[in-house]
Amino acid sequence: MLALQTILDGLVLGGLYALAAVGFSLIFGVLGVVNLSHGAIVLIGAYFTWFAWHVTGMDPLLCIPPVMLVLFGLGYIYQRGLIQLAVDRSSLLASMLVTFGVALMLRNALVLAFSPDFKSISPGWAFSFLRLGPLTIDLVRISALAASLALLGALAYVLNRTSIGRVIRATAQQELAARLCGVNARHVYAVTFGVSAAFAGASGAILGIVLPFSPPDEANWTLNAFVVVVLGGVGSPSGALLGGLLLGLISTATSQLIGPAFPNVMMFLILVLMLMVRPAGLLGNAFAGTR
Amino acid sequence: MLREAIARQRWWILAALLGLAVLACVPFVLMPFHVRVGQLILLSTALGLAWTLLGGFAGYWSFGHTAFIGLGAFAAGLFETQMLGTPFMRAQPLVGLGLGLVVGMGACAVVAGAVAWPILRLRGIYFAVAMLGVAQVLSELTNSIDAFKGSMGLVFPRIPAFGLRQEAVFYYLLLIATAVILAIAFAVKNARIGHGLAAMREDEDTARMLGVPTERYKITMFVLSATLTGALGVIYAHSLGYITTGSVYRTDFSLNMIVYNLLGGMGTLIGPMIGSVIMVVLTQVILGGFLNLHMFLTGAMLVALVLAAPRGIVGTWLAFRRRRRDAAA
Amino acid sequence: MPRIDRRTALTLAGASVLAMPALRSARAQAQGSAKKLVFGGSIPLSGGAAETGLNVNNGYLTAVKYLNEQGGVDIAGTKYQLELRLFDDASDPSRATTLIQRLLDGNADFFLGSFGSNIVLPTAAITERAEKPMVQAGGGSDQIFNQGYQFVFGMFPRATRQFQSTVAFFKTLNPQPKTFSVIATNDAFSKTFAAGIVKDCQAAGYQLIENYLLPEQISDASSVLSSIRSKTPDMLLCAMHDQNSLLIARQMIATGTNVGLLFQGLGPQLASYREALGKHANGIFYSTYWDQRTTWKDPFFESPAKFAEYYGKNFTRPIAYHVAAGAACIITYVKAMQAARSIDPVKVRDALAATDLETLYGRVKFTKEGDGDAVAMGPSVGQVLKSAGEVVYPAGGKTAELLWPVPAWDKKS
Repeated sequence: MLALQTILDGLVLGGLYALAAVGFSLIFGVLGVVNLSHGAIVLIGAYFTWFAWHVTGMDPLLCIPPVMLVLFGLGYIYQRGLIQLAVDRSSLLASMLVTFGVALMLRNALVLAFSPDFKSISPGWAFSFLRLGPLTIDLVRISALAASLALLGALAYVLNRTSIGRVIRATAQQELAARLCGVNARHVYAVTFGVSAAFAGASGAILGIVLPFSPPDEANWTLNAFVVVVLGGVGSPSGALLGGLLLGLISTATSQLIGPAFPNVMMFLILVLMLMVRPAGLLGNAFAGTR
Repeated sequence: MLREAIARQRWWILAALLGLAVLACVPFVLMPFHVRVGQLILLSTALGLAWTLLGGFAGYWSFGHTAFIGLGAFAAGLFETQMLGTPFMRAQPLVGLGLGLVVGMGACAVVAGAVAWPILRLRGIYFAVAMLGVAQVLSELTNSIDAFKGSMGLVFPRIPAFGLRQEAVFYYLLLIATAVILAIAFAVKNARIGHGLAAMREDEDTARMLGVPTERYKITMFVLSATLTGALGVIYAHSLGYITTGSVYRTDFSLNMIVYNLLGGMGTLIGPMIGSVIMVVLTQVILGGFLNLHMFLTGAMLVALVLAAPRGIVGTWLAFRRRRRDAAA
Repeated sequence: MPRIDRRTALTLAGASVLAMPALRSARAQAQGSAKKLVFGGSIPLSGGAAETGLNVNNGYLTAVKYLNEQGGVDIAGTKYQLELRLFDDASDPSRATTLIQRLLDGNADFFLGSFGSNIVLPTAAITERAEKPMVQAGGGSDQIFNQGYQFVFGMFPRATRQFQSTVAFFKTLNPQPKTFSVIATNDAFSKTFAAGIVKDCQAAGYQLIENYLLPEQISDASSVLSSIRSKTPDMLLCAMHDQNSLLIARQMIATGTNVGLLFQGLGPQLASYREALGKHANGIFYSTYWDQRTTWKDPFFESPAKFAEYYGKNFTRPIAYHVAAGAACIITYVKAMQAARSIDPVKVRDALAATDLETLYGRVKFTKEGDGDAVAMGPSVGQVLKSAGEVVYPAGGKTAELLWPVPAWDKKS
C-alpha cells in the first residue's frame, strides 16, 4: 500500500514538474537556447497569479489564461529584443550568459516589487483531500495535475495539428529550408519563445497554489527543468511529460527507499548518467538542440 | 616549439615577471581592504585561467567548474581535520596545508579522470549541462551525507602569518598559484598540445582526421583544469576558515569563470586577467555599497557585456587594430 | 549607426561608474561634523535569508533613527550620533569577508551580524582578530559559539539550547503526550536545533519514533507524511525555516495528516503564514522570542508597545520578532558603552560580556561563549489562537489560554 501511495504521490508531483519544464524544453529544442531565466519566468507567473488572487479574490485557476497572455507578449519581446541579438552577435553558449544575467535582474526586481517574503496562494478548496481506501491525495495536487495534463495536451495539439505548430517544427528541423519556403524564422523563434513563456507562467500559477514561493526559488525551477528535459528529451510535450513523471517517481521513490534527504542527489545523478548514455533523452528526436 | 615561443614572447614574459614583482609589494603599501580585493582578483584570475585550459583552449565550456572548487576544499578539509587532526595541524600547519593541497588536487584528478571519457564525448551545450549536473551531484552529496560535513560545516585550522597580516598570507598563496597556473597555461598554449587544441576548437572532426589525438588531448586538459581548480578551492577554503556546502559549491563561481574569459577574450591568457579585474572591481568595490540593487546591476552588466563586446576586450581591440591597419594600407 | 550607440552607452556607463565613489565621499565629508558612532555589518538582502535580513535591518534602522531623533546618545559626557554602514552580502562568504574588511579599514569599530553560520563565522574571524565586537541577531548554530571567540555575541541561545523551555512546557500538558517525531531540513541551524530537540525530549522521557531529514529546500514532503500517517507520533516537531514550515503544514492539512501536537520552530510567528493557513493554523505551536504586549522596561523606548508604535509610524512592513532583536542589538551596544564609559572596542566588549539588562526585547544576558543565556533569552512557547500569535508559556508572560488537546484539522474553527 505504501508503494502504491508512493507511486501516486510521484505521478502527481511529476505532472507539476512536466508542466514547469515544457517551456524550457521547447526553447531548447527549437532555438537551441538554454534559458537560465526559465525559473524566473515561472515565478513571474506565480507572482502575477498571487497578485490577482490577493487583490481581486478571483480563483487562481481562472488567472491562468490572462497570465499566459501577458507572458506570451513578454516572452516574444524578450526573444526578439535580446536573445536573438545575443545569438547573432555572439554564440548560443554566450546567449546562456545573457539569460543568466536576465535571471539575476528578474530575481532582484521581484524582491523589490514583492519583498523577499514568501507568498502562497490558498483558495477556499486548498485544504480538501480525497480518500480512496487507504490512499490519500490532496485536491490541490490532483487539480494541478489535471491542469498540467490539459495544458500539455493543448500544446501538443497546437504543435502537431495547427499551421503555426507545423511552421515551428519545420523551423526547428531545418531553419534554412523553412526560410526558403518563405518562413520568417525570427518571428517563429519569437513566437516559440512566447509560447514557452506562457506555459512557464501557467506552471507558475499552478505551482503557486501547491507550494509557497519566494524570489530565490527561481534557480530550483530552472534546475528541475534541466533534469526533466534531459530525462524525457528535448522539444516535445510528450518528452516533457515523460521526463516529469519519471522525475516525480524517482524523487518520491528515493525519499521512501533511501531517505528523504536524497531525492536531489538522485535527480542530478540520473541527469549526468542520462547525458552520458543517451544525450537525446528517452524520446529524443532530431530537433536543433540535440545536434 | 615552446622554446621558440619563449624567445618570441620574451617581452611579454618580462612584463609578466615585472608585474609579479610589483604585485608582491602590494600588501606592504595598500590598505587591508584593497589587499582583500587583490586576493579576490587573484583568485578570480587563477580560476579563469584554470577554466580556460579546457574552455578557452579546447572550446569545451564547462558550466560546473565549481564542482572542483568544492571537491578540493572538502577533500582537503576532511583530510586535515579528520585524518591529521587538530594537534598535528597546530604543530605543523604548513605541512598540513601542503598535504591538504595534495589531497584536494588528488581528489579532483581522480574524479575528473573518472568522468572525463564519457563526459567529453558530449559537445557544446550538452557538455555544459552535464558539468552543471556533476557540480550539483557533488554538492548534494556533500550536503546530504553526514560524514562529509557539508551541512554542518568544516572549520579549517589557522595558517600562521609569519609576521604578516592574515589577509596578506592568502594574497601571497594566491599570487604563487596564479603565477604557476599562468606558466602552465603559457606552456600548454605554445606546446604541441596547444596547437592541437586550437585545431580541435575550430573543427574537432577534421582535427581528428588530420591525426590530432583529440581524445587524449581533451582528457588531459580536463583533468589538468580540474586539478588546478581544486588547488584554488583548497586555498580559498583556508582563507574563509569555515565552509559549508553553500560556500564552495556556488553556481555563480562556475558562471563567473566564463564571464571573466568572455569579457577579457576567450582563448587568450591576458583575457581572464583583464576580465577578472574588471568584474571584481565592479561588483565588489563599486557595487559593494549598494544595498538592494547590486544583483540587478550585475545582471544588466552581464547582458550588456555579451551584446557590446561579443569577442571580449582583447578580441575587440585586435579587430580595431586590424581595421586601422587596413585603413592605413 | 549601432557602433556610435554602443560607444556612447559605454562612455556614459564609464562616467557614471567613475562618478559614484566621488559622490559618496562628498556625502561622507558633508556629514563629518558631529561625533559619530559607526556600526558596520553585513545583512543578507538578496539570498534565501532575505526575509529575516530585511526584518533585522529595519530593527537597526528603527533604533538608530529613534536615538538620533532624541539628540543622540550620551556616553561618558559626550554626545554621539549613530550611523549605520551596512552592505548586502548576497549570502556569498567571499563578498562578505571583503566588504567587512572595507568597513574595518573605514574605522567601523562595532559590528552587527549576518545570517547563517557560513557567513557569520568567516566575518567573525576577521572582526575577532581585529578585536572589534560583533553583536548579531541572525546566527544561532552552535559552531559560532564554540570557536573560543571573545568578541562575538548573539541575541539567541545557541541552536541546541533553544528547546529547553519548550520541553518544560510539554511536561505541563494534560493529557501528556508520550511519543515524538522530528522533521529537520539539511542546514547547519536546523540540524543542530533538531539535535537539541531530540536530546531534550529524550531526557524528559519522551520516546522518539522517527527522525526525518529533508533537503534544505523542500518541494514535496508526501513520503514523509505518509510515513507519519502510518507511524503517528503524539508530537511532530519541525526544525526548519519558515517557507518550509508552511509547506509542511499545508501538505499535512491537504492530506489529512493529523498528529496530537504540531510544533514548528519558525513560521507561525509570521502573519503571512497564519493567513495562508486560515483557521487551520489554530493550535499550532512555535517558539516565540518576543511579543509586543509584554511589559519589559526599555531604557530608550520605555516598552515593547511604544517600540512597535514607533516602528509602525516609520515602516509599513509588519513587525516581527527579528525587528525587535535587531533594535536590541543597537540598544545593548549603547548601554554597554555607557556602562564602560568609553567607546574603546575592547572595553565595550568587556561591558557586553557583563551585560544583564532589560530591553524592549526582554532580558539581555550572554553566556561565557557569547550566545544568549538559555534562561534569560530562551524562547517562550507560542500558539496560534483565533489566527493570532499568542504566548501560552511560561505562565508569567501568558497572553491567552492554551488550547489543548488540539482538534484535528477538519474539526478546527
